[in-house]
Amino acid sequence: MKRGRNDDDAFGMFPSSKKDRDDEEDEKIHVYIPQKASLSLALTAGGDPSAPQPQDAVSHLFPNANFGFLALKPDATKRPLWVSDDGRIFLEAFHSLAEKASDFLVTIAEPVSRPARIHEYKLTTYTLYAAVSVGMETGVLIDVLERYSKVKLPQRVVDFIRDCTNTYGKVKLVLNDNRYYLESTFPKVLRHLLKDPVINEARAFRTDADNAKVEGALAKRLGNGGNAAKVSNQKGSTSTGGNAAKKTSGKQDSKNSDLYNRAAITPANAATDDSAFGAVISLDEEDEEEEEDTAARLGIVDGLSGGTENDGGLVMGPSKASAALVELDYAQSFEIQKLHVEEVKKRCNEIDYPLMEEYDFRHDKDNPDLDINLSPKCQIRDYQEKCLSKMFGGGDGRARSGVIVLPTGAGKTLVGITAACTIKKSALVLCTNAISVEQWTKEFLKWSTIDEKRICKFTSDSRIPFEGDSGILVTTYTMITHSGKRAWDTGRMIDFISSREWGLLILDEVHVVPANVFRRVLTTVATHSKLGLTATLVREDDKIADLNFLIGPKLYEADWQNLSNRGHIAKVEATEVWCPMTGDFYKEYLKSPLRKRRLLCVMNPNKLMAAEYLIRSREAAGDKIIVFSDNVFALQHFAKRLNKPFIYGHTGNKERFALLQHFRDNHPAFKTICLSKVGDTSLDLPEATCLIQISSQFGSRRQEAQRMGRILRAKRRSEEGFRSRFYTLVSQDTDEVAFSDKRKRFLIDQGYMYKVVSDLNQLIPPEEAATLAYHTRKEQVDLLNTVLAHQDEERGFDDDDLMSVMPTAGAGSDGILRGPGGKFKAKAESGRGAVPEKKRHALFAKYYAK
Amino acid sequence: MSTILEHIKTLDNNTLTRLYHQPATCLAILRLLQPLAKHIIMRLLFVGAVEMPVVLNWIFDTKQASLAEALLSLRNFNIAWDENGSLIINQVFQTNLKNALVGGGNTSSFGLPTDSKDKKDITLEYLDTYAKESWETVLHFLVGTPSEKRPTAVVTLMEGSGLMAKPAHSHRPEDLRITNKGFQFLLQDVNEQVWGFLLQYLEMSEQLGMDPVDVLNFFFQLGSLEFGQDYSVDVLTDTQKQMLEDLKHFGLVYQRRKKSSRFYPTRLATSLTSGVAASGDTGDAGYIIVETNFKVYAYTTSPLQIAVLSLFLTLKARFANMVIGILTRDSVREAYNNGISSDQIKQFLTNHAHPEMKKELPPTVVDQIKLWESERKRAVAAPAVLYQDFPRSLEYLEAVGFARELGYVLWSSDQKRMFAVTPEGHVRMKEYMIRKKQQQQQQQQAV
Repeated sequence: MKRGRNDDDAFGMFPSSKKDRDDEEDEKIHVYIPQKASLSLALTAGGDPSAPQPQDAVSHLFPNANFGFLALKPDATKRPLWVSDDGRIFLEAFHSLAEKASDFLVTIAEPVSRPARIHEYKLTTYTLYAAVSVGMETGVLIDVLERYSKVKLPQRVVDFIRDCTNTYGKVKLVLNDNRYYLESTFPKVLRHLLKDPVINEARAFRTDADNAKVEGALAKRLGNGGNAAKVSNQKGSTSTGGNAAKKTSGKQDSKNSDLYNRAAITPANAATDDSAFGAVISLDEEDEEEEEDTAARLGIVDGLSGGTENDGGLVMGPSKASAALVELDYAQSFEIQKLHVEEVKKRCNEIDYPLMEEYDFRHDKDNPDLDINLSPKCQIRDYQEKCLSKMFGGGDGRARSGVIVLPTGAGKTLVGITAACTIKKSALVLCTNAISVEQWTKEFLKWSTIDEKRICKFTSDSRIPFEGDSGILVTTYTMITHSGKRAWDTGRMIDFISSREWGLLILDEVHVVPANVFRRVLTTVATHSKLGLTATLVREDDKIADLNFLIGPKLYEADWQNLSNRGHIAKVEATEVWCPMTGDFYKEYLKSPLRKRRLLCVMNPNKLMAAEYLIRSREAAGDKIIVFSDNVFALQHFAKRLNKPFIYGHTGNKERFALLQHFRDNHPAFKTICLSKVGDTSLDLPEATCLIQISSQFGSRRQEAQRMGRILRAKRRSEEGFRSRFYTLVSQDTDEVAFSDKRKRFLIDQGYMYKVVSDLNQLIPPEEAATLAYHTRKEQVDLLNTVLAHQDEERGFDDDDLMSVMPTAGAGSDGILRGPGGKFKAKAESGRGAVPEKKRHALFAKYYAK
Repeated sequence: MSTILEHIKTLDNNTLTRLYHQPATCLAILRLLQPLAKHIIMRLLFVGAVEMPVVLNWIFDTKQASLAEALLSLRNFNIAWDENGSLIINQVFQTNLKNALVGGGNTSSFGLPTDSKDKKDITLEYLDTYAKESWETVLHFLVGTPSEKRPTAVVTLMEGSGLMAKPAHSHRPEDLRITNKGFQFLLQDVNEQVWGFLLQYLEMSEQLGMDPVDVLNFFFQLGSLEFGQDYSVDVLTDTQKQMLEDLKHFGLVYQRRKKSSRFYPTRLATSLTSGVAASGDTGDAGYIIVETNFKVYAYTTSPLQIAVLSLFLTLKARFANMVIGILTRDSVREAYNNGISSDQIKQFLTNHAHPEMKKELPPTVVDQIKLWESERKRAVAAPAVLYQDFPRSLEYLEAVGFARELGYVLWSSDQKRMFAVTPEGHVRMKEYMIRKKQQQQQQQQAV
């Protein structure tokens, strides 16, 4: 495997090679993104031409962002936020309704910045898609937003929300008893879909014999649905009063059964479109009643809008969420053939009805259950519960796919474990490297009741599957996507993985993995639901958007400051130390080529002296320190000079474990450890309380956030007033300054403050300075000569383990986007409509070849 | 307020005595003085002179320092002084202050109310609105809001007072930009601002040959007028009529037409010496939130406040009751280029901080504003002398060698045959060059 390829791409930095651009094009072909995803609320110069622009002495200062025309409501002070014409939302975080409002906003909009007092959010097509897919309805969404807004909701925004949500999230792909159904609460939508030739073609028709089986299953479901409808309608009646609700409820039941009966129409009866979809047509007549019913539902909302007590909760609270999600109660559906699932999904994206995928795990009888529960000693925090309620909020025993964003240290792993314990089916966990595999396995054993034999690791050292018919398998992206020659038992493991159905696929650190890797994973693994976990969804290349359609929408994103204030993650004091370049170094810097410049910045003696001083003083204060240097040459040189242990890409696994173990065990010689980029995501160092960054990857906000994550674990040192420390050393007057400015942006938007030490003399006491390495001119000149003599081979910067063994771009490019519909692979032959040979996916070809 | 007193203190005794011929002026000065000084004046007013030991007895021994201070200020104002062991009062001041307090003497000093009724009903609200608008127009002009209305009086005063300045190369009034002094001016309250302008007016009036006594008297007269009453123009001196014309632009007085025989003082004028806030709004509550991510959210509807913010913020968006801006390196540097200092920005943001901010700015933001300021000062200019155009390399090398030996070389380039030396070095270099030249000539002659 060629090392060094793909590294920039993987971290989404600068598109540096042609190959990267190929990747992008490659993706455009294979990620089917709905057309409307490209809609934007951004205003062009000159602002919204349709908006009346009041003129006064300072109007000219706001050429395209004058929202003064939005009328202020008389009771504006009682409402916590502003909504602008371009879809930005500004929330007063100190408002009494702020907490509820921010719960609502994080569901429907992207958090842009969340410092102490005013938070900014942004509405995008993706966030609205996510909102809809967790069950938010267009009407409720607009209604609640209007209620919270100080200014009248701009018509442009209302239109945008309508436009994005009226087709999004309306149709679900449900896998039930081994059959796929397109399910919707909106009969019109189903009718519309059936008119589409591709989808109509894919429709499945059943024989009587099949029906008996199906009906049995449906009856079960129906029972649930009917009950739920009653409950919710009773809720509705509290606001509207009268018997109407009861009547509707009764009707509802009959409506449902009618639909399901018709859905099981035999092919003979299905001669014409009309009769085939009789259920929906007949429902059409009942549209009026349905509207009434909707009104009743909105009644709940209106009722709440009066009282301030409940309103935020309506949308958010797990129990109340179901009230807002009554749509489930009278879902209608038709079945589609397994073989056509991919095609239908693609087609639905094309016609702007992206399918939401839900896994009805409670009714999945095909896949054996796994005996797993949360350990009694484990306590779930409220925000973790919130995450999970988004994932499982779809109703009784259904799981949605999506991404959850929690800062490092806030317990992402536990969220994953809880999800696995809820679904209780086989689960596959993908991590970035072997060390994480160890950690996940350990955590599973610690926090759940899983039998040790039922959990297994699949790494280069361990290739034995779990025992029994269900279990947990933990492995790395690399192992599963490795496309080169495999050892015999590796191949066996891959077969083991790809030959079975998984209930849940957990994707750890989703943000580091390139889209083409995801595609490979998703074509290898047949899974019913996907959960992506990450601390930061920032990517310099904006490829994050694709995750929405590869994994699922972002379900939840935690507020860092909030968690930090409540002690769930450590408080951090971030400091940027400005280190002037020494004269000798700066002279060389000015005349050196770019690559050499970087090394000169990193090796700046003043910087190394500052680093040494910080290490010394923080060690004395009892901190455990990580020193990060992306530049391996600098890392080695510095660590050797100060006699500190270091880990970089070439450090063997055994040595890594040993070093980290010493660090963990508070070994006196291991208070400080120097790491290359491998430490960014791969290592778990629970007791680090101080971080010193001497070289980093350009302006990567993601890396900065990830590194911050290394010291956020608050467990051990939660005493009053304790703060972890984060030092970034920047060589003044060099490129590093601009990069550092960019890197800081993400964390600043999360409300972190960077203190600046602009004068090293303030930091280092003069008597101390003379005792530091590199303080003599002679040593500095020697250092400079070493740097200049250093033949900078291709890679001064270390690759992450993961990326160095990533498949080449071409591999897997023919894989199509696959959802949880793994089922049809194994049982393809049983499907009715056979597909012409050429349309078959490469992966299925082997089944046909038999 | 002290500024007008400080100004008066600088006048010579002669001028002061002339000033005290107006009862209104005497009353205004009495009002502006420190309490202890006021007290002494009142004790002296009807007796004329008191022996010093008695005066010293008025005050507790522990407070003698304050007394000395008060006596000193009275002497500076030429109101009262120690003469032959007695404290005596300036007779002109005495007479006119008595007149002011008990009535009598020159009646027009307090303005002459018109005896006829104005056809148009001028309400107090109308006058307040007029004053506010006029004053804000002036301030808008100061902060650079484009507008057609810019009376010459205002433009001249702004530039003359140094509140605004043109760039070195420009002569067009449109290029006037706010200065450090101008920004400082914005930080003051309205009363201070008005006095600031009036003092500037006073200074310029002297250059224009107007009698400062006349000008000052009119200021104090304005301060003693009654808000809402109309006064006759006819009794004013020519200087004062001219002033009336100018002060209209600042909203201190209202005159319906230029030829109108009556004028109304606004609250800006009548509160000059009263110590009561001049503007209707009682010191606005803080409205600015500064976030740790350098965003600034200002709860304001006032175009003037927005215009002030635009001096150091990049404005991003505006709602009906809030504007959003961001402190960027560029926006802040632009303010610095106009002479506004980091301390002033900090002071402004702190003074107007939203209650949520609890009068405290994020420390990192303050630090950064300071750093942006200090980075402008990193390069220090020092004089140096450059030597160039050496005809041959040899001459260059000899010269630079000589300078280097003495340690004067600041910079040199062998390639360009140039080097720079310190000014001290220049003296020695000159001698060296002359010597070289002579040697050359001698050599040539020898050849």
